[in-house]
Amino acid sequence: MAGDNEVNLNESKRVVPLNTWVLISNFKLAYNLLRRPDGSFNRDLAEFLDRKLPANTNPVDGVFSFDHLDRSTGLLNRVYRPESQLGPPTAPIDLENPLSTTAVVPVIVFFHGGSFTHSSAGSAIYDTFCRRLVPLCGGAVVVSVNYRRSPENRYPCAYDDGWAALKWVKSRPWLRSGKDRNSSDVHVYLAGDSSGGNIAHHVAVKAAEAGISILGNILLHPMFGGEARTESEKRLDGKYFVTVQDRDWYWRAFLPEGESRDHPACNVFGPRSKNLEGMKLPKSLVVVAGLDLIQDWQLAYVEGMERTGNQVKLIFLQDATIGFYFLPNNQHFHCLMEEIKNFVSAA
Amino acid sequence: MDELLAVLGYKVRSSDMADVAQKLEQLEMAMGTAQDDGISHLACDTIHYNPSDLSGWVDSMLSEFTNPPPPSAADPTAVLHNNSHSAGGNGGGESHKSAVFRDDSEYDLRAIPGVAAYPQADESDKDSCRKRMKTSAGGSSNSAAVSSPSSSSSPPPPIAAAAAPSSALIAEPTRPVVLIDSQEAGVRLVHTLLACAEAVQQDNVKLADALVKHTGLLAASQTGAMRKVATYFAEALARRIYKIYPQDCLDPSYSDTLEMHFYETCPYLKFAHFTANQAILEAFATANRVHVIDFGLKQGMQWPALMQALALRPGGPPAFRLTGIGPPQPNNTDNLQQVGWKLAHLAETIGVEFEFRGFVANSLADLEPEMLDLRPADVEAVAVNSVFELHRLLGRSAGMDKVLSTIKAMKPKIVTVVEQEANHNGPVFVDRFTEALHYYSSLFDSLEGSAASPSSPTTASQDLVMSELYLGRQICNVVACEGGDRVERHETLTQWRARMESAGFDPVHLGSNAYKQASMLLALFAGGDGYRVEENNGALMLGWHTRPLIATSAWQLAR
Repeated sequence: MAGDNEVNLNESKRVVPLNTWVLISNFKLAYNLLRRPDGSFNRDLAEFLDRKLPANTNPVDGVFSFDHLDRSTGLLNRVYRPESQLGPPTAPIDLENPLSTTAVVPVIVFFHGGSFTHSSAGSAIYDTFCRRLVPLCGGAVVVSVNYRRSPENRYPCAYDDGWAALKWVKSRPWLRSGKDRNSSDVHVYLAGDSSGGNIAHHVAVKAAEAGISILGNILLHPMFGGEARTESEKRLDGKYFVTVQDRDWYWRAFLPEGESRDHPACNVFGPRSKNLEGMKLPKSLVVVAGLDLIQDWQLAYVEGMERTGNQVKLIFLQDATIGFYFLPNNQHFHCLMEEIKNFVSAA
Repeated sequence: MDELLAVLGYKVRSSDMADVAQKLEQLEMAMGTAQDDGISHLACDTIHYNPSDLSGWVDSMLSEFTNPPPPSAADPTAVLHNNSHSAGGNGGGESHKSAVFRDDSEYDLRAIPGVAAYPQADESDKDSCRKRMKTSAGGSSNSAAVSSPSSSSSPPPPIAAAAAPSSALIAEPTRPVVLIDSQEAGVRLVHTLLACAEAVQQDNVKLADALVKHTGLLAASQTGAMRKVATYFAEALARRIYKIYPQDCLDPSYSDTLEMHFYETCPYLKFAHFTANQAILEAFATANRVHVIDFGLKQGMQWPALMQALALRPGGPPAFRLTGIGPPQPNNTDNLQQVGWKLAHLAETIGVEFEFRGFVANSLADLEPEMLDLRPADVEAVAVNSVFELHRLLGRSAGMDKVLSTIKAMKPKIVTVVEQEANHNGPVFVDRFTEALHYYSSLFDSLEGSAASPSSPTTASQDLVMSELYLGRQICNVVACEGGDRVERHETLTQWRARMESAGFDPVHLGSNAYKQASMLLALFAGGDGYRVEENNGALMLGWHTRPLIATSAWQLAR
């Protein structure tokens, strides 16, 4: 076992830049400390270790942000907007006017990753990522959702919060845009990485059922799984920062107690799942990292979406590991950014 | 510094990257060979410091493996583990003692204010001191490396601040805002307030006058925190416009009373005292005689808890000397002595040798080290404590420098500083106004949530009103006053850090134990949900949701 470990460490070091390796390894080891064998989680230490960034109404690189708290639900969202071309920096946050009356401005509702357990909208890795999306998508607005995490809050809390966030976004007059006054609406894309991708899918399904329009879904190595052990899980177990064992832990922490990984939240095209045929789900962009051990589940997701008549584009990044998009120091990052940009701008 | 990692909150020198990577590998190997349970002590017993100093963090984790706290055979809490990973050849039943595994949840519940947690053994105590010193040395050498600008969000510390006026020290660029849903409705009100501030700045009295009246109307249609905050800011603006400056708070007993209510209503002062005391306790761990110099004694609310913790120290309490500094009292009542008597009485009941001295001073800058009867450092350990006092010195040039030299002359083992986490001292009025508006909005919002004890609603609402008055006076000072009268010159942790470091102090990091206990304190005492403790490069901040509001940092003399 120890010998295997050595090989594993060397392998992952070969495929990512050194600072990326340091970053993700640090997370990995810290997370190992936080997960307890009995399924409980050391939340205090997790919060202590998490590097956070505050919102900032002073624009930085053309983007400013502020947090919004809905008192009745306790849900906090962080809103990122492009710097206003008009008005001094001290101007109040404009909560009265629509984003535009001459063009469509996308609003990307983003669900951060962390396997349902870690991180928050304020985590530095996610704050930084969301900031990038604003100029990338031509001055889009990004709303990052601070959903409740497991194991303290299991399924369906994260989905409920995602749904509440979507409804909140859709009902803000100041998030509307349109080519003219008549076509004013809040133009929403859902996006997320890892568990956030999973949440984005489930919120999209609920939106489709409720007739709420979503323009597209962006799923960045989304977190799916099932009881079976797939080939990729066996082949890549422990090799690139992630183990099957930790995946199991996070599902056990998120799913209702005693549930198996064939629960429909986890195994979306599995034996217990809803039939998505004819649902008219929004078009999806699914990004799979070639060194992610759960890729077989993600590829099965793509296949399932196609099979049920839903439009999906797969981007398979051969030697990408999880978390490749945290630092702009590799080709996969730039490729991803390009794909997202094209996906959001296409009508 | 690796810029990409710096943006994500991790300070690693590019030249150290390979070394850090290697240590991470070592750590993984060490963690891998220990059983799952065998690493739990890293989460429970080990105190973590400053996760931004990645190298330091990894080092401290590694030292847990190379220097594990010795398991004591007589210790009933030592847990024996069966290492199921042991190679088959060793035969079944091979067991090895792991480090002492404490279920810390029981233990920490005892860390209710009044009892700060003590490191269990002298051994681990020295270890954690070493770790803290090590990481803090790492921290300060970063600032010595200096002047290479890192990311846009962290300005470089000044190298020589001698000639530069203190306000030129790093204008803090971040403005965190948390909007509560009601503020969406109050958007027009905020807009009007800001427009009024703008008019004031431009000396357009007529416009300012019209706007401030309009604000009054708009505020009346609001409810809750928004209404109160707007009212205070409007009043402060009116005072500034009409030059009816507030009576200088020359009645300290009145402001002390208000502060007591503020203390009861919300956790900010409790957090300040608690975290400062934690740092002081750790600094005093091995001293037999200790001396705390409190820059603002007021009602002495911070000290009973420290004294109780000292009384419970394994091996017995040190002799405790307290020097309390306070402003002159109007009726020549000796407030300081009264507080001293009360504390002396407490000390007697808990068995702590106690000595008290009060000093009246108009300003901390009037203090001279000779006045304090300081004893040699090897005889008595000194802590200097300042809770919301230092910022008052920023209105007088050279006041701060004087005080910082005086502190150094006291040769303190530790200096604890608690300050409001906001920049209310910028040179541009409108900026200051906007900062303050957002800051106090968050503060007032948090008060709405935490209207204290349900058992006595009248006391609760009285506490709330007094707390609001307490904050209202600060608002008035920030907005309406100038020059020497403007004493509420709050600056951010980043600014204080730069100031302390250039004055010759090194940071002493507050660790995960203080963090955890502060979090538990909040859960027990804070009425409202939404208070958050955050770790920031070795300092601890208390905030309302994502908006940090006060920051506690600790310092020692630079080597």
